[in-house]
Amino acid sequence: MIKKILQSIKIIKVGDWFIIILFCALIIIITKLLWNLPQGEYLEIYKNNEILAVYSLNQKITKIINGEKGETKITIDNGKVRFSSAPCAKKYCIHQGWINKANQIIICIPNKISISISGGKKNYDSINY
Amino acid sequence: MTLSTINITDRDHQIAKLSAIAVALSLVEFFFPSPIPGVKPGIANIIILYTIFKFDLRMGIWVSIIRVFVTSIILGSFLSPTFFLSLSGALFSLLSLIIFKNLSPKYFSLISFSLIASLAHIIGQFVIVRIWIIPHNGIFYLLPIFIVSAFIFGLVTALITNKLLQLNSKK
Repeated sequence: MIKKILQSIKIIKVGDWFIIILFCALIIIITKLLWNLPQGEYLEIYKNNEILAVYSLNQKITKIINGEKGETKITIDNGKVRFSSAPCAKKYCIHQGWINKANQIIICIPNKISISISGGKKNYDSINY
Repeated sequence: MTLSTINITDRDHQIAKLSAIAVALSLVEFFFPSPIPGVKPGIANIIILYTIFKFDLRMGIWVSIIRVFVTSIILGSFLSPTFFLSLSGALFSLLSLIIFKNLSPKYFSLISFSLIASLAHIIGQFVIVRIWIIPHNGIFYLLPIFIVSAFIFGLVTALITNKLLQLNSKK
């Protein structure tokens, strides 16, 4: 088995290694360039599509918002934010977990509460996409 | 009245046979679901790479273009977006191979050519997607996934083709 692997490595020539390394470098550069979204600075909370409040993300606090169906708890933890409790049935909003990048959003349709992060440079969100 | 005759050479037979295998492999691939939507291994490229190294680049170009057209006609996607994606990928790959055909075989084996062609294939498809199918910069967010898969499948294709050429030269 090891002999076979060694044999298959032997057919890779000098120029091939050069191309392989170049290719890997390209992968790393492109991934860094395209997947490096700016960190958000502010949390915007929306109720019925109207902005309810704006909080800084640089704090550790849990906010309680009264929505259509009941209380939603939104937890801010130094730069990231999540739904920690919601009255909806499926809890999609909670399962989305933490978000921390600019223009990321979480929407809870049953309770008509949504949050989005602003700040940093404008970027593509899932709605635009 | 003049009769025009078409001379069918051995070379034409060779191209037809290889194209048939390439089309068959494309169809096999079509019926297997891919784990990630949009990512396909492109096993027909083994045949095209094999053709280029066993015979020459001209023949590889023929097999590649015939494969794109025949596969799309069989699957009913001729002149649809899928067809143009496939065609632009193939054309960009072939173009890259034409550009880089003078790389010395002393230092570069078919692994290099396979990787260059697979990268060109992805670039070709993204050009079509960006200009025509989804004219939005948001699609570039997916580029890393496709480039990584191009690297993996380009390498695997090259290794399989290499094995095939070795087996063939032993006979």
